[in-house]
Amino acid sequence: MRGNHNQRKGMYAIECKNLTHYYGKKLVYENLNFTVEEGKILGLLGKNGAGKSTTINILNGFLHPTAGECLIYGENSQHLTPATKERIGFLIEGHIQYSFMNIHQIEKFYSGIYSRWNSEPYWELMSKLKVTPRQKISSMSCGQRSQVALGLILAQDPDLLILDDFSMGLDPGYRRLFIDYLRDYAKTNQKTIFLTSHIIQDMERLIDDVLIMDYNRILTQQPVNEFMKRFKQFVIRLKNPNADFPKNSLSLNIERTKDRVEFYTYGTLEELKQFLSEHAVEYVSVEQQPLTLEDAFIGLTGKY
Amino acid sequence: MQIDYTMWKAIIYKEWIKIRWTAAIFLGLGILVLINILLRIRHDILFVDATNYWYNVLFRGYNYASMLKFLPFLAGLGISAAQYFPETVNRRIKLTFHLPVKESRVLMGMHLFGTGSLLLIYAVWLILFVIISAIYFPPEIMQSTLITIIPWFMGGLATYFMAALILLEPVWLFRVLYALVAYGFITMFYQRAGLAAYLPALPELAVLTVLSSIVVLFSGYRFRKGEM
Repeated sequence: MRGNHNQRKGMYAIECKNLTHYYGKKLVYENLNFTVEEGKILGLLGKNGAGKSTTINILNGFLHPTAGECLIYGENSQHLTPATKERIGFLIEGHIQYSFMNIHQIEKFYSGIYSRWNSEPYWELMSKLKVTPRQKISSMSCGQRSQVALGLILAQDPDLLILDDFSMGLDPGYRRLFIDYLRDYAKTNQKTIFLTSHIIQDMERLIDDVLIMDYNRILTQQPVNEFMKRFKQFVIRLKNPNADFPKNSLSLNIERTKDRVEFYTYGTLEELKQFLSEHAVEYVSVEQQPLTLEDAFIGLTGKY
Repeated sequence: MQIDYTMWKAIIYKEWIKIRWTAAIFLGLGILVLINILLRIRHDILFVDATNYWYNVLFRGYNYASMLKFLPFLAGLGISAAQYFPETVNRRIKLTFHLPVKESRVLMGMHLFGTGSLLLIYAVWLILFVIISAIYFPPEIMQSTLITIIPWFMGGLATYFMAALILLEPVWLFRVLYALVAYGFITMFYQRAGLAAYLPALPELAVLTVLSSIVVLFSGYRFRKGEM
């Protein structure tokens, strides 16, 4: 299986084509297309209700899309063979696991399921938890449960990890631990990761590519470094707080409070200044602001 | 083949962890009820007299096993809840369906284990019951009583199957509808009737019980389809 994995390098682990889904009459998205290259970590970001969980459910075969399909390693996600399922590690939102077991029982269970099981990373993570050997997972804290779920996925040694809102309920320390461990593991072992999160802090440390969804559509999919280099926020101080502010294709999003305009664009400062002069916008100053990924996400999708 | 064996062993291990206490409690409860039946028979035969007691059983429809009546039903319900309720909490069945086995196979494997465990409990109860009966009654009475109580055990199995269907169903409205069907179906096994009165209906009831064993696949299918 590993040989096969290496030969396929550069191919797509996930390929979603013309994906359309409705809940009743409500459109979630239409003709959605995206791919995840093998060996990459892709973060799917979007506001609540943008369709992140719908996408994850379709990928995991728990939801039939209204139209279109997702392929995982070339197989339709609705009919994955056991061999392909073995290659996928799945983290359910909220780090759900068989919480009626303790850490020994659950390790014993999964070790019999997966042929590539390697318990070393699991026990390494478990040694950091202050839990008793017989303590049920259900009685652990959210952070501890996240480590159990992560440890199990790492021990499974899958080629593709699908992580649904991995940051949910984690305090900053555990989130950082989770991300650092995951990044190191994925890069060392050339794993592919597809993840969603609505907490975007720290994500820059983890992902290679970013896919940002808004209601019904994809806003962008590109390498995160490129996105962070190209996407900019300019803060414009207007002379007249009541003056109209024009829009054109340069402005991806504009947030305005009185005389302060936050202008989000892929354009340059020169292009913006030219745009302002063309539209006779009088301003006191224009400054580019440094952005974190979270700022950029909010800038692109809007605050509301 | 080796992988398949270790995988099924692991799945059985998970199912065992879920049901072990419930199974042990029902097994013990049944044994206590049987001991109670034994002591009652002994008491009545000693203090009333055997001829009268037998007369009551043969001609007045007295069933000395009546304490057992709803125990198989409760055990079926209990085992099903212990096995399938944890799978429905937080939609944990997703984890099970994600295991590298066909979804229908893993569900039937779990179901087979639950059924086997239930049958084992029933077998222990029935063997003890036959032993107790054999001490105090002739084979004819014992046989008629066994025919009387067999539908209760079939009803217990049907309860296990129907409860699994209801628990795994993702939509509440459907759960209610299934519960109504299950009520109508299961009460068929527990009608008030004379000694061995169910004899002519036993084959039909057995067929219905076997058929109900696979209905859980429908809930599994609906879950995978994304019904919510």
